[in-house]
Amino acid sequence: MEFVISHLVKSYGSKQVLKDCDFVFEEGRIYGLLGRNGSGKTTFFNCINSDIDYSSGSFYFRSGTDAKEQIPVQPEDIGYVVSTPTVPEFMTGREFMKFFIEVHEEITPDKTIDEYFDYMMIPEDDRDRLLRDYSHGTKNKMQMLVNIIAKPKLMLLDEPLTSLDVIVAEEMKNVIRSQKAGRITIFSTHLLDVAVDLCDEIVLLNHGKLEPIDKSNLGDDDFKEKIIAALRDEDDA
Amino acid sequence: MLKEFRKILVKVLHLRSVVGYNSLVFALKKTPLIGKIIPDRLYKTTFLKVIYWVIHVIREVLALFLTKMAGISLVYFSALTVTMLYKSADMLGTMSSRYLFGTFALLFFFVYAFFGLVLNVKIFEKTTEKDYLVFMIRMNAKKLNNTLFTYDLARMFIGYLMVGFVPAIFGVPVCCWLGIPVLSVFIKLFGAGFLAFRYKLKSRRHELLKGTAAGDALKVILIIVPIPFLFVMVTFGYYVPLSVLLLISAVMVLIGTWGLFELVKAGPDLHRRALHDGVIMEKESVRVAKANTQNFKKLKAKGSVNEKKKGFEYLNALFVKRHFKMLAVKPIVCALIILGLTLAYIVLVIMEYNEQFGSENCLNMVLLNIRNLFLFKGYEDPLTTYVPDSASLFFRNAVQYHLPALLIPLAFADNSFKSTQAMYINCDNSLMTFSFFKQRKMIMKLFDIRFRQLVSFNVLPAIALAIGSNLILFATGGQDYPFQYLITFVILICMSICYSMYWLVIYYLFQPFTTTVRIKSGAYNAAYVIFSIFLSMVVWLRAHSLVLAAVLVFLTIVFVFFMRMLVSKKAPKSWKVKA
Repeated sequence: MEFVISHLVKSYGSKQVLKDCDFVFEEGRIYGLLGRNGSGKTTFFNCINSDIDYSSGSFYFRSGTDAKEQIPVQPEDIGYVVSTPTVPEFMTGREFMKFFIEVHEEITPDKTIDEYFDYMMIPEDDRDRLLRDYSHGTKNKMQMLVNIIAKPKLMLLDEPLTSLDVIVAEEMKNVIRSQKAGRITIFSTHLLDVAVDLCDEIVLLNHGKLEPIDKSNLGDDDFKEKIIAALRDEDDA
Repeated sequence: MLKEFRKILVKVLHLRSVVGYNSLVFALKKTPLIGKIIPDRLYKTTFLKVIYWVIHVIREVLALFLTKMAGISLVYFSALTVTMLYKSADMLGTMSSRYLFGTFALLFFFVYAFFGLVLNVKIFEKTTEKDYLVFMIRMNAKKLNNTLFTYDLARMFIGYLMVGFVPAIFGVPVCCWLGIPVLSVFIKLFGAGFLAFRYKLKSRRHELLKGTAAGDALKVILIIVPIPFLFVMVTFGYYVPLSVLLLISAVMVLIGTWGLFELVKAGPDLHRRALHDGVIMEKESVRVAKANTQNFKKLKAKGSVNEKKKGFEYLNALFVKRHFKMLAVKPIVCALIILGLTLAYIVLVIMEYNEQFGSENCLNMVLLNIRNLFLFKGYEDPLTTYVPDSASLFFRNAVQYHLPALLIPLAFADNSFKSTQAMYINCDNSLMTFSFFKQRKMIMKLFDIRFRQLVSFNVLPAIALAIGSNLILFATGGQDYPFQYLITFVILICMSICYSMYWLVIYYLFQPFTTTVRIKSGAYNAAYVIFSIFLSMVVWLRAHSLVLAAVLVFLTIVFVFFMRMLVSKKAPKSWKVKA
């Protein structure tokens, strides 16, 4: 399965944030969407998640076998984890899990609620507390967890590691790695080291366009230099 | 010094103008229909900025006239009225009316200035422009505060003096028309200096430089107490002699001078800290928004709901359980008040009857009328013949033909707006980031559950009003036609259903709230205004209750059907978080 972005354009008034974006994302891989602050990473995700209207273009799935096939993206195909976790604060973690599993009639959970909590390393004494009282990291884990349960074809992760402590960030990275099979994961960040550490492919969102970066030397110092050079504006020189 | 004053003042006025202009363009860009055609370059159009600057200056001048001059005009007008009353009541004694006018003007001015001292010393007030200038541009807080304070003093002095020329022409003593503007400056200086002195002490004790709840309560008492006292005093011919008022004036000049020294002594750090601690108050709207948001966050994980409930039913049951106070208290209290008043009226009637005819007759009357009520008849008095008076005819006519007027108390008792705010801030705001929550099927499932839940609470005051209306019918001759009592219930319930549906629909269609539950949707506001205009026309309608019931039942069904359809069509697009 592939996720295809075709000539996607998004403008705010006269300012074009996404300019004729074209890209093909493949199943089973984690894509690091790298861009500078304000480059349009969140806008790109919001367009795909239908939170905002895009100006023109399209995006769709296609099976690997038929290049002409266009499978429309349904809301249930997308899992979206935002950088500032938002969870319904009047519910406890367990209540939220129960509700989430019940409304997703189409999925058959392979674990009990407590097993899911264990999987995400959510402490036992947090499980029956209001989500309002959760720490930032635990809220983030909850958001990630329900998105994992929903088993979306496309997982959008908008800077999910921002402001997490090292331990929780490492736990989250492991979860993201373990969940990449059978889906397309796009992970946005403006931190180069995180992208290099976690992702199989790096895609730059630069001047409104998606540009793949040659992954052969992923991790080398030269590679980092190359990305920085690509992201640097002429004005920064 | 004057040059620096002018420089800072120009910066402030320029900033006010820029903020005002940009806010206007921003608001226009957010307005439905015209918003999309307004280009971004409007933000930098010099020509329009100049026009706005001119309008801004006119507004500044108008503010001078309206606020400063209106206040002092009221003082003079009150003094003139009292002087004329004294003259007509022959209470002048040996004094001339000009002398008495001057005395009252000075007396009232002191009361007015006292109110200003308690409520209106704004030198340390935190405003948006001070935020920008002190905390972002890092302007010297003392210089900024003092410049704005001096500007305010100058406006006040000029405004008071201009108004004072009118009594001056009529020969009022100079201590009055010239003294008042001068005194006002010294009183303001005292107020500002006293505040600076207080914060200096607080600062030494490492306390926050801001007001307290006890201080606010004291202010209210200080404002309320003098008014009746002054009123009684003046009515009975007592007033403070001019000589005493002049002595007070001299004292005010002295303590005003002390205030000036305190202000001069207060350093930039004190000013900066005072602004930082949000002294006195933040802008009311911001404070209210913050308080509102905090109110919605007061939750406790108590209790659970029936495990048989699944999915959205479960979500809603939990939501209602954890927000019961927010959702239900207002309609329940309103219903209880209506029922309480109704009951109090019944008790009064029975007590009066008991006093007039004795307990045995009273008991007979009560039993007879309970029977009549169950038989859908009217009130009967076995001892006297019922003769309708004008009051009972008026009320009977109202419940026969003017039931639409009950939309007003129903609107007051309806809690749908706050309920939608709670839905947003504690539930939808977070769930909107999940794709399943924005699917049409899911939206409609929750919409229907919420509609039923809103109706279940909001119908309570409607039922109470129907009981009250039916009691009026009962007491004034009973039903005009069979099932009239029932029809009254139907009408009120339909009205309540329409209210609940209206608020829920405009919430789903426009999703107007921000994360601080402020409203950020021109379309939502427009829908509210249109609805209010419609209501204000409908409440005057004269319609026979039978006809009204038939029309309302039909309209309610159609309204609910079409509104649901509209939500089903539009909500998947509008169901978004607003920044």
